[in-house]
Amino acid sequence: MTNRILNHPVLGVLENQTPINFTFDGQVFTGFEGDTIASALLANGIRQLRVHEATGAPRAIYCNIGHCFECRVTVNQSETLRACMTPIQENMIVDSGKQQPAPFHAAPEEWPRTYAEYEEKQNEAKEGDAHV
Amino acid sequence: MDQTIICRCEEVSLEDIQQTASMYNCSAREVKLRTRAGMGYCGGRTCRPAVDAVLEAVTGEKAGHDIPLKVQPPVRPVSLSILGGYMK
Repeated sequence: MTNRILNHPVLGVLENQTPINFTFDGQVFTGFEGDTIASALLANGIRQLRVHEATGAPRAIYCNIGHCFECRVTVNQSETLRACMTPIQENMIVDSGKQQPAPFHAAPEEWPRTYAEYEEKQNEAKEGDAHV
Repeated sequence: MDQTIICRCEEVSLEDIQQTASMYNCSAREVKLRTRAGMGYCGGRTCRPAVDAVLEAVTGEKAGHDIPLKVQPPVRPVSLSILGGYMK
């Protein structure tokens, strides 16, 4: 609850909130009732919600009004829910979006033959890459 | 500056769009088809005005007063179960 504004100069003091526990990528976080997934994670200091499927560039809240689908996450194994529009519920399991394999961007000789090789190549590519 | 991402869904930079537009001297729709800008998850609702603005700067093509580029249904991405009428 570090990043949450608990005492607002205009809106007053935030009190008597019902805490709700949920899981994001295997880690348990606590938000308040009425929080969206995005706002609860932001209050817990988590900004990156997924990575771009092809390039692995980090993605987070962009429009925060359900317009851009940049914050889509997997909730209880149902894919493509907008974190900015989905209220948290007790014991909700949220998973971030992961990078998808794109083996055909390279020449056939460079294609990974095993998943371990693919992961190794992905880690190599990420080092020193500037992300916008 | 030129590495600014215009289309976040397909990760198309300003440089990509400017280069494509000036190289082929093409319409906004052709830029969309060549670079995939505006063909991603959000259906171009985030970047379409930006793509139109870049095109106007490069080729002078003005976006019409009706809906720019082309919008295909569904207006928002929906799951097949919702499209098929299955409600939880």
